[in-house]
Amino acid sequence: MIRPDAPVLLEIKDLHARVEDKAILKGVNLTVRAGEIHAVMGRNGSGKSTLSKVLAGHPAYTVTAGVVTYRGQDLLALDPELRARIGVFLGFQYPVEIPGVSNLEFLRVATNARRAEQGAEELDTFAFEDLVRERLKVVQMDPAFLDRSVNEGFSGGEKKRNEILQMALLEPLVAILDETDSGLDIDALRIVAGGVNQLANADNATVLITHYQRLLDAITPDYVHVMAAGRILRTGGKELALDLEERGYDWVDQELAAQAPVPLEVA
Amino acid sequence: MSTAQAVGDLVSQPYKYGFVTDIETEKIAKGLSEDVVRLISSKKQEPPFLLEFRLRAYRQWLQMQEPDWATLGYPPIDYQDIIYYAAPKQQDKKTSLDEVDPKLLETFDKLGIPLSEQKRLSNVAVDAVFDSVSIATTYKEKLAEHGVIFCSISEAVKEYPPLIERYLGTVVPITDNYFAALNSAVFSDGSFVFIPKGVDCPMELSTYFRINSGDTGQFERTLIVAEEGASVSYLEGCTAPMFDTNQLHAAVVELVALDDASIKYSTVQNWYAGDENGVGGIYNFVTKRGQCRGDRSKISWTQVETGSAITWKYPSCVLQGAESVGEFYSVALTNHRQQADTGTKMIHVGPRTRSTIVSKGISAGRSANSYRGLVQMGPKAVGAKNYSQCDSMLIGDQAAANTYPYIRSQQPQAAVEHEASTCRISEDQLFYLQSRGIGFEEAVSMMVSGFCRDVFNQLPMEFAAEADKLLALKLEGSVG
Amino acid sequence: MAASLTAPMALADWTRQWLNGLPVADGPLAAVQQRGREALAELPVPSSRQEDWRFTDLGLLAGLDATLACSPSDAGLPPAAPGVLRLVLDGRSDPLAGVVLPAGLAPLSDSELAQALGHTLAATACEHHWPVELNHAAAQQVLALRVASRSCLTLELVSMQAAGLLPLRVLLVLEEKAELELCQFAGAGGAGLTSLVLEAHLGRGARLTHGVVALGRNDAALLAHLAIEQEPESSATLATVAAGWGLARFEPRIRQVDGSASTTLRGLQVVDHRQVADTHSHISFSGPEGQLDQLHKAVAAGQGRSVFNGAVRVPREAQRTNAAQLSRTLLLSDRARIDTKPELEIVADDVKCAHGATVSCLQTDELFYLQSRGIAADQASALLKRAFCEEVLRDLPGAARQWCRFEHLLASV
Ligand SMILES: Nc1ncnc2c1ncn2[C@@H]1O[C@H](COP(=O)(O)OP(=O)(O)O)[C@@H](O)[C@H]1O
Ligand SMILES: [Mg+2]
Repeated sequence: MIRPDAPVLLEIKDLHARVEDKAILKGVNLTVRAGEIHAVMGRNGSGKSTLSKVLAGHPAYTVTAGVVTYRGQDLLALDPELRARIGVFLGFQYPVEIPGVSNLEFLRVATNARRAEQGAEELDTFAFEDLVRERLKVVQMDPAFLDRSVNEGFSGGEKKRNEILQMALLEPLVAILDETDSGLDIDALRIVAGGVNQLANADNATVLITHYQRLLDAITPDYVHVMAAGRILRTGGKELALDLEERGYDWVDQELAAQAPVPLEVA
Repeated sequence: MSTAQAVGDLVSQPYKYGFVTDIETEKIAKGLSEDVVRLISSKKQEPPFLLEFRLRAYRQWLQMQEPDWATLGYPPIDYQDIIYYAAPKQQDKKTSLDEVDPKLLETFDKLGIPLSEQKRLSNVAVDAVFDSVSIATTYKEKLAEHGVIFCSISEAVKEYPPLIERYLGTVVPITDNYFAALNSAVFSDGSFVFIPKGVDCPMELSTYFRINSGDTGQFERTLIVAEEGASVSYLEGCTAPMFDTNQLHAAVVELVALDDASIKYSTVQNWYAGDENGVGGIYNFVTKRGQCRGDRSKISWTQVETGSAITWKYPSCVLQGAESVGEFYSVALTNHRQQADTGTKMIHVGPRTRSTIVSKGISAGRSANSYRGLVQMGPKAVGAKNYSQCDSMLIGDQAAANTYPYIRSQQPQAAVEHEASTCRISEDQLFYLQSRGIGFEEAVSMMVSGFCRDVFNQLPMEFAAEADKLLALKLEGSVG
Repeated sequence: MAASLTAPMALADWTRQWLNGLPVADGPLAAVQQRGREALAELPVPSSRQEDWRFTDLGLLAGLDATLACSPSDAGLPPAAPGVLRLVLDGRSDPLAGVVLPAGLAPLSDSELAQALGHTLAATACEHHWPVELNHAAAQQVLALRVASRSCLTLELVSMQAAGLLPLRVLLVLEEKAELELCQFAGAGGAGLTSLVLEAHLGRGARLTHGVVALGRNDAALLAHLAIEQEPESSATLATVAAGWGLARFEPRIRQVDGSASTTLRGLQVVDHRQVADTHSHISFSGPEGQLDQLHKAVAAGQGRSVFNGAVRVPREAQRTNAAQLSRTLLLSDRARIDTKPELEIVADDVKCAHGATVSCLQTDELFYLQSRGIAADQASALLKRAFCEEVLRDLPGAARQWCRFEHLLASV
């Protein structure tokens, strides 16, 4: 839902980043206001995951220029855990397996870290179990997953549902979901999309990174951005995604080849 | 800073128990001779059979060669430069705690082992050993009501000589190895536990060893006997001050389990490990062995090893009784220049005996952490089974993790299965936890304790928290 | 243990006697012979007191004729497939005499030989190993071949040892991207010892598949050092199968000089009667991103003794090594013995190293399953034993597969 007067949650200006010696992000601009749903599309390798990791503070990526403000605060200055505690959430394209660390314990510690930041009281094991059981419904997950190690041996779909469960517990203000739809069958996709829709409200915002229209059929975006070679090449409404579906990405290449200056259409 | 470096720094926390208690100590002169052995025996007012035992061991020791271990490197030990007996000056062991030197009580308070009536742990009986002597044992009377004997071995020698004569040196004979022979000649104090037939020991038993003198060796001797159907859970804890010299700790622990008896022996070891350059710290050369003599008996070793400059220790089980069970659960954390060579021997003698080995080694800094184990299936071990799992976690690229699991079998109807793996804390795993709001230190600590979980689960409830705290202690501090 | 106390004495006597009986050092290997003889006179003979020989008694050697064997050439194998070169090694004559080598395969020149001989042995720390020095002292011929870059060849080596000692020395140089499939047969026709020392240097991207089938007899012994040096991107597969020997010892010693190579080791040893079979493998990674896939299997019956020692060394420079070792032993008799000792030494943190070991007899539930389908007990157990061995046998290259019929291997087991 677009409300021009809604507060800006996330503002990315001319963001450049590299990994090792390779420049990947080359001037990303994006403004996200409360209540909005953004879709970021683009070919493999265009830098979508890099953008999400930079926003979450992955140590392998170095920001070389640009600023990112989150609710007026310099996001890039913060450690990854602080970003999470103040409400920035990254749903990983490839959630990591952590053998030995119990999923339930992990979720509890993470939830309490977020709650402490918000000034809410810490949940004890019992209170937390109640909460987690309720949130499990959002993603229709079997409670048995709580007793296993974090993501260990989870199928692709189960990992993605575990990501949304974490989102449901942490209640972020900005959720960046990196290809949460990839590798999901129809049912799982419906469940995950349903979860995202349930959690979206007028105060938070969602950035969906995706390849496929089918996710956008289930979650209607307010904006669609096309990323290429480390920049946002074009921004439009939900029609842009349909257009991409029809015409493919070839025009992106042409546009890049023409070295056209990047049109900045931020809301 | 790289993640590996940051993780490395985390495991390099200062040692918290490095203080020295300023107390008047009675020490004998340095050096070892037959006279010294006699002197120790007479100071402890021992019966003749024990003096004989010591002298036999001493003569044996003279003829033995100090083992030369390829993977452990340390300068030669001068056995004439060690004091073999040191005790805080106080006459006799006090019957009441009020008479114990307050400095000693304060010391144990500081170590988190309050002994006084008001503060002591409610469900754990403690024997506190300071240098060469036991200074107090709590809950003795309450245990006695159940027929359980829990006291220092010196007291047991005086009060229950037939039991000592019957069991001492029967599991670890004086000829067993160089350090066992040395211990048998000069052993100072340790605990004696006797659980009579059919008794389930009503509380956890625990001995806390404190080395205080810089030039004294500690030669702990512990003997635990569980008669038919008896069961007990025992925990040993250890600390020492920080000296820049090395102290020798050569202990012998013997466990005997008769039919249907069960002994659970847990160690949380936090001796001073030396500084980051490998100066100082305890040489821990220990012989621990349990004998499942009876059918269906069970001996379970759990150890959390974080201290010592050098650890050489293989708590073992001799599974004689039919269907007896041996277990070994171990966490060994080494850092800086620590060397740990530890593991277990499971000697399957009787039919349908079973053993389980779970070893978790964490190596950081320039340390070397070796698992060395032996699983032996003897000709009569029909239907015996062993399962071993040895995992190593490497932190940084200068620490060594070695695994040497020997398997010997002479019994086709026995099955041995061994698995080993290595892992590290990956940057991506850390980032994943951090991106959910979990701080760096907590993330590392979660992953390390996750790695060790199978072992921690084996610790008695009362001590699981202590072990977790100990690892956390080694893991806490600034990230830098 | 008592028996092995006298063994070293007898073995030392035998060695001395044997050294004295050797002909004067001569031929292209004269210098090597001389050094080997000197080394052997100095080296203590292997005894149970040395960790590497703890379980393997060489006492059998002391009973052998202290002479060099003159080998009959025919091992009774079916003829080589058309286009495949078979060389017979008899320890005496030049195996290349009168042979037309295919394109891409050439003997090393004298100067090349002088340079290359012993290089890989040194790189894989085989120097001063008693069996290697024994070979040095006696070997009169060396088969030294170069496989030219990008050529792809198949070669067979056949030896049949008679009474006495048969020393075999092989040196292979595989140039960049060269490929060689080498099938080797070592048989025994008399009470003797086959001493094999093989060195192979694999250039960048080279590929060696070496299968050794060694079928012996109760009064015969085999001591084999197989040393392989691998440059990056090379791949070495070594499959060894030994059965029937009174004593057989394989020491595959591999070094990946700069990592980034791939090594596959397969071993199967079968012991029965009072036979001893021992494999001491040693792999070291001297650079990053090396790969190892090792499977060692043993079947022990009768009063046989099977020893496996598998060392894997991953030093600091070997980041991202991926090594897996599995040792599986079938213990079929209550008078047979097994000693297994994996040795993993790791100093790099970003590595995947796994190893596993199992020792057991045939699984009763597997047996039961087959029986419940109407298969007789002995047939069911034969099937399972076969399946157990097959996992290694199927990795033998070309003709070696045919030489190694399962029925031979487990004839009596
Ligand atoms: N950790 C990394 N190391 C090296 N290259 C990387 C790393 N992460 C991403 N890249 C490279 O950056 C480019 C963008 O990758 P990514 O952000 O994952 O794209 P997308 O998510 O759009 O498919 C790719 O060429 C990829 O190979
Ligand atoms: Mg991506």
